[in-house]
Amino acid sequence: MNVYQPWRVRVEERIDETPDTRTLRLRFLDEEVARNFRFRAGQFGEYSVFGEGECTFCIASSPTRQGYIECSFKTVGKVTTAMKDLEVGDEMGFRGPYGNHFPLDRMEGGNIVFIAGGIGLAPVRCVIWNVLDERPKYRDVTIIHGARSVADLVYKRELKEWGERPDVRLWTTVDPGGETPDWKGEVGFVPAIVQKAAPKADNSWAIVCGPPIMIQYTLPVLEKLGFPPDRIYTTLENRMKCGIGKCGRCNIGPVYVCKDGPVFTAAELARLPKEF
Amino acid sequence: MMTNSTLITQEGLSALVEDLRQARIQVIGPARVSDGAVEYRRMTDLSGWTPGVQPRRSLKEWFLPVTEPLFRYRKEGPRVLVEELAPPDAPRVVLGAYPCDAAALPILDAVMGWDYRDEPWFARREATVVISQACPGGDRSCFCTAVGLTPDSAAGSDLLWKPNGSGWQVRVETAKGEAFLQQWSRHFQPANGNHVQPAEPPPPQPLRADPERIRAWIETHFEDPFWQEISLRCHGCGGCAAVCPTCHCFDIVDEPENPVQGARRRNWDTCQTALFTRHASGHNPREDQCGRCRQRVNHKFAIYPARFGRVLCTGCGRCARTCPSGQDITEILSRIDQWAAGPGGAGT
Repeated sequence: MNVYQPWRVRVEERIDETPDTRTLRLRFLDEEVARNFRFRAGQFGEYSVFGEGECTFCIASSPTRQGYIECSFKTVGKVTTAMKDLEVGDEMGFRGPYGNHFPLDRMEGGNIVFIAGGIGLAPVRCVIWNVLDERPKYRDVTIIHGARSVADLVYKRELKEWGERPDVRLWTTVDPGGETPDWKGEVGFVPAIVQKAAPKADNSWAIVCGPPIMIQYTLPVLEKLGFPPDRIYTTLENRMKCGIGKCGRCNIGPVYVCKDGPVFTAAELARLPKEF
Repeated sequence: MMTNSTLITQEGLSALVEDLRQARIQVIGPARVSDGAVEYRRMTDLSGWTPGVQPRRSLKEWFLPVTEPLFRYRKEGPRVLVEELAPPDAPRVVLGAYPCDAAALPILDAVMGWDYRDEPWFARREATVVISQACPGGDRSCFCTAVGLTPDSAAGSDLLWKPNGSGWQVRVETAKGEAFLQQWSRHFQPANGNHVQPAEPPPPQPLRADPERIRAWIETHFEDPFWQEISLRCHGCGGCAAVCPTCHCFDIVDEPENPVQGARRRNWDTCQTALFTRHASGHNPREDQCGRCRQRVNHKFAIYPARFGRVLCTGCGRCARTCPSGQDITEILSRIDQWAAGPGGAGT
């Protein structure tokens, strides 16, 4: 089997997150692969619909939950449209896990602040569940999630669950104009809510993911709160094909997102050319 | 100067090619094609063979085909059957590779083999004996001597040949080459000193540049206006990448033959197009030709050397000869080298 040949997976569950975003739960057909498959929070894979092509997404489920993987995607192009049309029981392909991961072992004993905009919650959600499934290892957990509108908030059932937990501080926000009459969360852009939530920086780590513009305005807020750039992590998703450092397209200057990433610290990003 | 060499005559070579054909070993060599150009082609005899003329395109496509299936699939209702393909390991001999093409092979082994092993590439590599013929001297676009090679470099060659009047003087470069020579020894004869010595290699090409200095300049001049300047004449056609022996970027696409079956294929791609890096959202990290031209030069002379310790270029000069707007890599490298060497240059 060559490295480009995927494992077969079966769609076990489909969850509509927003009008254009769906989560698929996928189970490996090969029992041995299902039993032995391991990954770390932050890694990604190549998902494919046969006859349509491959797409790169993070693994959105937590490595603490074995036997299946989940991906969340927005219906934008050819492959994601085909993925949206798959029924429970249909088969597709997956190869991975690829890339580096969030260094959770370094964060043990510390506070973690998760900040995610829109579908950027997918890779962050993987880490959130990893941390919550091993809750005693960490101290304060803060989650800040923003979307354009109430309808665009992803993982709504999980947001509710996190909001009800006494050991999680949850902030949800929508862009001005995106609120509904019964909206009880915040209204405002993510950087402003981060400022308002003001998580303490001492012994803390931040994991930030979202659109480039959100990241651009959130990093200075975090730095002002006292988060050093080497304790702020994000994950990048450049266009990729091979996922394994050969096809030549995902580099940012000397760094290959597929091999050196997709997880980077703000300090690492600051050293890269501004080409992402 | 070649020592301990072996010889092969024109007649011996003809007989060797016939024996290879009989043994079902594919022979690939530079040959005239219908439009008069020379390309690496499958040969059954020496009638169209043109050693000593640089083929229009590199040898790359015989190891990384323009398009190749990675596996096949067949859908049966919700189920999918994935059909693994046999590795492309049919035995082959390249007869008369250009040294600048042969040298690209070990360069590409590095990227094809790090961490994950690209089986189709290595299946072809292992099944192929590369016999190179020393270059008789190139044109003003050639610059192999500026990237650490020479017209008679043996890099990537299992045997290196030089014409010596009536035939070729043969030098063994690898164990695979030695085994080939042993297997087909009846067509070769030992050199006994009476033969004409091969011609001296041609003089080095005009471009003098220091790859280390160039790399240092590139690494510190990402925002330099020079990239904008060179991009103004670029059409983004990607012709440079198509003819290049070391450009290896590829795309992976599904090509259905009908609604239920087809293949996932690997196709050549190029960093010179917008689609190469465009995200599904429409955002493009390399949104104009400036970024794409910069990427190509960066990848070859800074990024690849940083990771694999050598430039991603053999100085074959094809990109300069092919470019419809006259983009000349020797001019680009020469200017960078001069800046790097000058006051305030990154190389000082």
